[in-house]
Amino acid sequence: MNSLLKLKSLNKYKFENKKPKALYGLPPLVKFCKKCTYSNQKPISEKEFEHKAETKKTVLGLNHKGICSACIIAEKKNKIIDWKKRYSELKKICDKYRSRNGSYDCLVPGSGGKDSFVQAYRLKYEFGMNPLTITWAPHIYTDWGWQNFQSWIHSGFDNYLFTPNGKIHRLLTRLAIDNIFHPFQPFIMGQNHFPIKFAAKLKNIKLIFYGDPNSEYGNPDNFNSSSKPQYYFSYKKKEDDLKISGLSVRELKKKYNLTSGDLEPYLPINQNELNKSKIEVKYLGYYLKWHPQSCYYFASEKGNFTTSSQRNAGTYQKYAGIDDKVDDFHYYTTFIKFGIGRASYDAAIDIRNGEITRAEGVNLVKKFDGEYPERFQREVFKYLSIDKLNFNKLRGKFKHPEFNFDYFQNLTNRFRSPHIWYYDTKKRNWSLRNKIS
Amino acid sequence: MSKIRIIPRMDIKNSNLVKTIKLDGLRVIGDPNKIAINYYNNLADELLFLDTVASLYGRNNVSQIISELSKNVFIPITVGGGIRSLNDALSMFKSGADKIAVNTAAIKKKNFLNNLSKEFGSQSIVTSIDAKKIENKKWRAFINNGREDSGLDVIEWSKRAADKGAGEILLTSIDNEGTYKGLDFDLFNSVSAQVKIPIILGGGFGSLEDLAKAKKMNVDALSISGALHYKKFSIKNIKKKL
Repeated sequence: MNSLLKLKSLNKYKFENKKPKALYGLPPLVKFCKKCTYSNQKPISEKEFEHKAETKKTVLGLNHKGICSACIIAEKKNKIIDWKKRYSELKKICDKYRSRNGSYDCLVPGSGGKDSFVQAYRLKYEFGMNPLTITWAPHIYTDWGWQNFQSWIHSGFDNYLFTPNGKIHRLLTRLAIDNIFHPFQPFIMGQNHFPIKFAAKLKNIKLIFYGDPNSEYGNPDNFNSSSKPQYYFSYKKKEDDLKISGLSVRELKKKYNLTSGDLEPYLPINQNELNKSKIEVKYLGYYLKWHPQSCYYFASEKGNFTTSSQRNAGTYQKYAGIDDKVDDFHYYTTFIKFGIGRASYDAAIDIRNGEITRAEGVNLVKKFDGEYPERFQREVFKYLSIDKLNFNKLRGKFKHPEFNFDYFQNLTNRFRSPHIWYYDTKKRNWSLRNKIS
Repeated sequence: MSKIRIIPRMDIKNSNLVKTIKLDGLRVIGDPNKIAINYYNNLADELLFLDTVASLYGRNNVSQIISELSKNVFIPITVGGGIRSLNDALSMFKSGADKIAVNTAAIKKKNFLNNLSKEFGSQSIVTSIDAKKIENKKWRAFINNGREDSGLDVIEWSKRAADKGAGEILLTSIDNEGTYKGLDFDLFNSVSAQVKIPIILGGGFGSLEDLAKAKKMNVDALSISGALHYKKFSIKNIKKKL
């Protein structure tokens, strides 16, 4: 037990506590979807640029039968949608935008993972488009992630790799884990916002294709819309009021000496600018039935796609989300905040796609969820440390500039919601109050 | 020179025959019983059944399939996946297995291979080694169906496994598995230079070139899955080329 968590604060984590407090606006009663391994604690993607420490989460909906919205959409995908019709809709759009001289006619944001491989490859070789692929670099590439990224480009694509300023990215990532326990948040913001701004600047690319729609992961977006909702990536208010890492742009500028230029790549596009640009942001997964495992097969067969060397920390699989060494910690933080770890996310997808049964999924969650991610710990902690060489002037603003195991443990415990966790004072360990069964 | 044995590899999950790429992304192929009988009728030399999720879920479902199959099939059947005790092994033999294959437990339990070979005889014990390349001519032995690195060097572990009494080695290249890009003959040569027991080479079989090389290098046996399951080759054709 770490020293920072005082005895008094442990009271709220007692097993006997009948009404444990729920943090982050999460539903006090934990309910699991009857079909998959999601629970009603899963937040749905939000506008990260409004995310503060106090933000109350909107969560995954379960219907009166206890089935989550992601599962309901999966069922619709299999039963209701006329995929032939949607395929021809895609053809029409491509016909409208296709360039005659081979210049870029669409932008495909992606990492070089299995899904982006399929996005770009099919658009080019099946629909005759001329995509420019664009990548927001991972924090720290894994060897196999870099290898896959290269294989992707070498299967026939131009790529624009944007690597954000390492110093600023490290600082924002550190602030994000400290303030909202979400080390991936600045990355997600850049990944979502930058390609659209980039297209607007280029002026001649009017069509952007993302992969599978967020609604497939439980977001309440209009599942019958082919377009990505604009509120995800554009804003109306003052730039200074936008948030990154849980702090406003104003605070970031004042306290950490950052400039508008430093933060620009992370921030959404201004709505006026977006409207002027006439850019269409589409989900390819609306037109083509998206199946993650088939993407793995496709990318392996056509593009030499490779897996991570071992199963990913906290889960059983080794082919999804494998290019960034920080990813392990991202899923560890979701396990701490919401009780949903990487195996829960993976199993839910595999169940919905018919790869495994729910019983298998539950077993996998019990076996792997919440496993502490040791494999890249040293590198990630170094990445998150406010070191003398790069941050000498800022070190004073951090109580613990070095990011080490003890600090991470203390931080972890600070973000445990009492309605999810209890602390066993005899065994001296933490357990989930509600386990999936 | 004796002929190369052709051994269809049947990866099983629950009651289905499945296939993977690099041992991940399990895809259902069909009814293992029917397909195995077909391979038997097409003159397979042996059959290999591996429960792909046995270690993952701590269970084994293959024995039922084997007891059904052994009524109709009269070639040696090797069964593996999740065998962790002498009792597990015994129940496989009782179900009709002629040989058993062990990987995870052989690595994790110090005397397991010695005890198995003492109890059932070396000729019935196959060490299954899933090899992942880490650098040129260097491979690591993986456990839990290619999901975890045991930390053991494949060549070292092969030697030790043979000393412990394994009668055969099933050597699978994780990197090539399911890709049809060819067997890893470097891997085969590196291991066969160090051990005297027969090696069944698998992972990546996909062309006639593989057969020619296997012949040239005196490979004892080939384990083939996807190329047969997806009907890229038939056993009869392969045998003709041999």
